[in-house]
Amino acid sequence: MIKIEKNKFDEFLEILKKEYNVFAPKKEGAQTSFKEIKFAKDIEFNNINTKIPKEIFFPQAEELFMYKDSKIENIEKKKAIAVWGVRPCSAKSFILIDKIFGRAKQKPGDKNFEDPLWKTKYDDSLVFTIGCNTPASTCFCNWVDCGPFDSTGSDVMVYDDGNGFLLEGISKKGIKFLSDIKDFEESNDKDRQNIEVLKNIAETMLSKPIDKDLLKVKIDKSWNHSIWDEMSAKCINCGACTYNCPTCHCFDIQDEGKSNKGKRIRLWDSCMFPDFTNEASGHNPRDLSKDRFRQRFMHKFKYFPENNGDYLCTGCGKCIQVCPVNVDVRDVLNKIIEF
Amino acid sequence: MVKELQEKVKQLFKDKKVDMVIGWRKGSLPLSSSPLFINKIEDVDNLIFDETCQNNLAVYITKDKRRLVKDGKKIGVIVKGCDARSLVLYCVEKQIKRENLVIIGVPCKGVFDKRKVMEQVDNKEVLGFSVNGKEVTIKGQEFEKTLDKFEIASDSCQSCVYPDAPVFDEFITEPRKEKPDIDEFAKVDKFEELSLDDRWKKITDEYSKCVRCYACRNVCPSCYCNVCFVDQNDPQWIGKSPEITDTIIFHLIRNLHVAGRCVECGACARACPEGIDLLLLNKKITKEIKERFGYTAGINIDEKPAMQSYCENEKQDFIMG
Ligand code: SF4
Ligand code: SF4
Ligand code: SF4
Ligand code: SF4
Repeated sequence: MIKIEKNKFDEFLEILKKEYNVFAPKKEGAQTSFKEIKFAKDIEFNNINTKIPKEIFFPQAEELFMYKDSKIENIEKKKAIAVWGVRPCSAKSFILIDKIFGRAKQKPGDKNFEDPLWKTKYDDSLVFTIGCNTPASTCFCNWVDCGPFDSTGSDVMVYDDGNGFLLEGISKKGIKFLSDIKDFEESNDKDRQNIEVLKNIAETMLSKPIDKDLLKVKIDKSWNHSIWDEMSAKCINCGACTYNCPTCHCFDIQDEGKSNKGKRIRLWDSCMFPDFTNEASGHNPRDLSKDRFRQRFMHKFKYFPENNGDYLCTGCGKCIQVCPVNVDVRDVLNKIIEF
Repeated sequence: MVKELQEKVKQLFKDKKVDMVIGWRKGSLPLSSSPLFINKIEDVDNLIFDETCQNNLAVYITKDKRRLVKDGKKIGVIVKGCDARSLVLYCVEKQIKRENLVIIGVPCKGVFDKRKVMEQVDNKEVLGFSVNGKEVTIKGQEFEKTLDKFEIASDSCQSCVYPDAPVFDEFITEPRKEKPDIDEFAKVDKFEELSLDDRWKKITDEYSKCVRCYACRNVCPSCYCNVCFVDQNDPQWIGKSPEITDTIIFHLIRNLHVAGRCVECGACARACPEGIDLLLLNKKITKEIKERFGYTAGINIDEKPAMQSYCENEKQDFIMG
């Protein structure tokens, strides 16, 4: 584990920038979101309520290819990406999306399907995850197999002990990167103890998790239950929750072009939108708001776990913050358990 | 006031004047309330009304293919001034019969814009608030900050001249006799003073942040087309990527579709996850319509809407002039 004093962060950034395009939280107006960073002074180090970093690897609108006359031009590859300062709930979300875009299988025994646009960006990346010393009141990562210091999906874990950052290699890539950089102090026993203290404090700030076994039993029986009518009544299907969710990954494909040239792009889509499932015949299998609302939670807490072994939710609480009508995923889970 | 509201709603249920009532309950976060659908009298005790009740509840009348209206229910809606204007609009536009609506006015003193509060407290965790006249004290982990209530109010409230329902069946307490002493178009006037280039810059700066999630459209009570033009794909009217030209077209067309119909509730701006100033252009059009046609949406059920009537002496020059 190495130690970087806060006033030496510029030096560290220079090293990182040699091999990587570096993304980190940057404040612009009232929002803090992940942007390409050139100088340490542009980084917002302390805000836990940043926008999610999903766009770095899975942009909202991404060109698949361009064409001119009858020639297809592929999009060229860029320098590898390093992301500084994602939270554990985002780092884990990369792993979850990677289960779809990185190694999805139609059925057991099939060859993996690999999405080239995701793979080229994500596979070469270096993810620096910062532990959350003070979780927000909307955080419930501990309910869904994540946590304020969970290292799933991280190459390097970063601990902020007030004076500086302690960096711990997690993945092979991360360990190698740290062993290659010199000029930084090694951490000592006291630093390690400090980290344990930080972890313990953070744990106490989180709420008591739900009973996962009970959730499984109940959600399996809930399909026709009136709780879905009750809970969905206030949802206005705006889609803000899905656009701000680190794990939502549904997309639409569009062609945009004029006569002889144009491009094919993929765009974020949302299961909350009526046209998401609208069929060419005009029939819509998820016609009502309730159908779409139920789908969102069923996908996250039933189908995805059944197919991939994990909840499609990392407990980041972003959807709770952005929902204009206060749909709170924790309330939804509690209602499912209680009916 | 909340007690009176609860009593009144209970009475309406007892007298069988309503089948359901839409109001607000306490939300799961300190600065949020949650829409509440009351179908039986026991649920009335959850009703609240305070500065967190920012949703325009009228939207549920048209939402989800007018499901509630089709059930033929008699629906009570608890409304601030702007929400009441949406209900009036629905009556004018024949989305619901007046006799199926029970409009319950509450005296609105402005609602919070959560984003403004969060900015004022440097995005620190908020645990609660208390209101004391014109001041609001925000309490959080290890801090307490007193803010000017007007400063953290929604943009729509800062320019609102109809805080009380202009049309109602019941009013909790008394509607105010006098309109607030506010210059409702102050921000628009400032915008108009800018040069053409600066105005365009302001518009492109704002709308370039748009991610095309359509939260603004979906919370808007005036946006209730069966199929919105942006969702249509046969023919496709507009590109779907957040490319600035298409994005601006989306917003300008939406502005024009709600021209003379926008009730300036600001729900669009508060719902926008990108914090875009969506009210400005809607207000600009509201001002044009008021000046040119003497019409304000949602005030009078019997008045013909500006866009659906014609007088020979109307100004004929281009509306955006
Ligand atoms: S943000 Fe809230 S209202 Fe919007 S679609 Fe999601 S749950 Fe529904
Ligand atoms: S569903 Fe909500 S809490 Fe879960 S990962 Fe998505 S945004 Fe975060
Ligand atoms: S809510 Fe905001 S980001 Fe979403 S479409 Fe409307 S303006 Fe764009
Ligand atoms: S456009 Fe915005 S301010 Fe106007 S009625 Fe719709 S949500 Fe309200």
